[in-house]
Amino acid sequence: MKKYVALIFVLLLVFPAYAGSDDFIGAPVIVGVETIVKTDGRFEYKTNKSHDEVLSFYKDALKGEEHIKFRDWAKSTYIEDDAAREWHSITISKGDKGVTVVIVKDNWSWIISTLILRYIAVFCVLLLLYLGMSISGKIISGSINRAAAKKATG
Amino acid sequence: MTPYEILDMLRGTLSTTGIYNFQWNIVIMWAIGSLFMWLAISKKYEPLLLLPIGFGIFIVNFPLVPLMGVTHGHDQLLRVFYHYGLEWEVIPCVIFLGLGAMTDFGPLIANPKTLLIGAGAQLGVFVTFTGTVLVGFTLKEAASVSIIGGADGPTTIYLTQHLAPQLLGPNALAAYSYMAMVPLIQPPIMRLMTKKNERTIRMKQLRPVSKQEKMLFPLVGAAIIALLVPSVIPLVGMFMFGNLMKESGVVGRLTETAQGSLMNIVTIFLGLSVGATMHADKFLSWKPLFIFSLGIVDFMVCTTGGLLTVRIMNWFLKEKLNPLIGAAGVSAVPMAVRVAQVEGMKYDKTNHLMMHAMGPNLAGLIGSAAAAGMFIAMFD
Repeated sequence: MKKYVALIFVLLLVFPAYAGSDDFIGAPVIVGVETIVKTDGRFEYKTNKSHDEVLSFYKDALKGEEHIKFRDWAKSTYIEDDAAREWHSITISKGDKGVTVVIVKDNWSWIISTLILRYIAVFCVLLLLYLGMSISGKIISGSINRAAAKKATG
Repeated sequence: MTPYEILDMLRGTLSTTGIYNFQWNIVIMWAIGSLFMWLAISKKYEPLLLLPIGFGIFIVNFPLVPLMGVTHGHDQLLRVFYHYGLEWEVIPCVIFLGLGAMTDFGPLIANPKTLLIGAGAQLGVFVTFTGTVLVGFTLKEAASVSIIGGADGPTTIYLTQHLAPQLLGPNALAAYSYMAMVPLIQPPIMRLMTKKNERTIRMKQLRPVSKQEKMLFPLVGAAIIALLVPSVIPLVGMFMFGNLMKESGVVGRLTETAQGSLMNIVTIFLGLSVGATMHADKFLSWKPLFIFSLGIVDFMVCTTGGLLTVRIMNWFLKEKLNPLIGAAGVSAVPMAVRVAQVEGMKYDKTNHLMMHAMGPNLAGLIGSAAAAGMFIAMFD
């Protein structure tokens, strides 16, 4: 009896590992792929399927999920989560010799760095506006002064 | 007729009344609506917005009122205002048109370096974003909540409608409430973040700005924003067009309409529609409460950002800026300008900062629009 209990216990422990093999921190993963890198925060795998097949797999798997956007880039398709899921992005490469998929865990460094970049970008926008205003202001004041000087001499 | 039939008829009649469908949570919403109406009427806190918003909250929270639903396939009254005004993102842009027609960019053109203060004052927007994500808001919701600190009502509404329309009511309400409270929120931070001798800095009188410069500004401004942050050009473009109408001086009637009647009409629709989105079923949750508590922190950090930016700029400038004008970098036109003026005069009665603070104030308006554009670009 003890043997059976132990066997059932082991099976229960092992089973979730198999059941969860088609996802990484909640992000869908195609079954039977070649793992390239797998850490707590990143899962990179390779598959022989074409880019379009992988993309349609993800479109199906994420169908009905809110706050997920698909961005079509030149060298990859980028799937980004704007909600509070555990994963942040899935990048599907575009290539002839197999497709590489990279799943990245949601992380604070991404949020903080994008916020800092955007804050700096606001400065850049206003700095360029400042430059634009200074240059156009100088040109206009110069032309007004020249016209006034001409009037005075003429 | 049998007594049963009479009872049935009575029940049928009763079921069409509000009393029959009464729920207790709507009483809380009546209280919230009444509070904002009281603030508007008795305390004169942003009455143009808080009165219609308060009434919108009040009237929509009665059972069965045909205001925000759909009848026979047609939107009901307030839903029509909401749909065409806010869902279509028309009203915030029209308000920006009116604001542009009312704005004199002279102080900003005369001292364009104050534009950087407007950027610095967006600090709270980005800090709050982090805090909001931390408590479990989605990224889009976080962006819409964080823009409250920019103290610019139409931009808050525009961004929220774009990214997280479910938070429109609380966000707009928090933005306008805290804008009204700028004279209470800002002075302690201004005193904390500046030294006494800095508060008495006298700034050089601003140079006169020619009409040509004023006319060119909206074109240069619109072009630069359109090139760098195209997603926000519906707002900024209308703002600059309103200003061009004013500065050109050739369309007096249009300018007058944009800054007067048109602005008043859309303000009525805006207030009622925003209030009408706050039904008890949607509003009474932890999120609006959190938005309100975080909104004040947002304002405080934005004020700090503006003040710090001036102090940093002063390290490099020969002619120093009075750091008190940094607080005007949060938009809140023109409340923040008045606060800078009043605080400045507390330390030197003859030091008038009003015109100097106008520059950062307008820069804050452009800065918060730019920040909103950054967020839209991030999610679109």
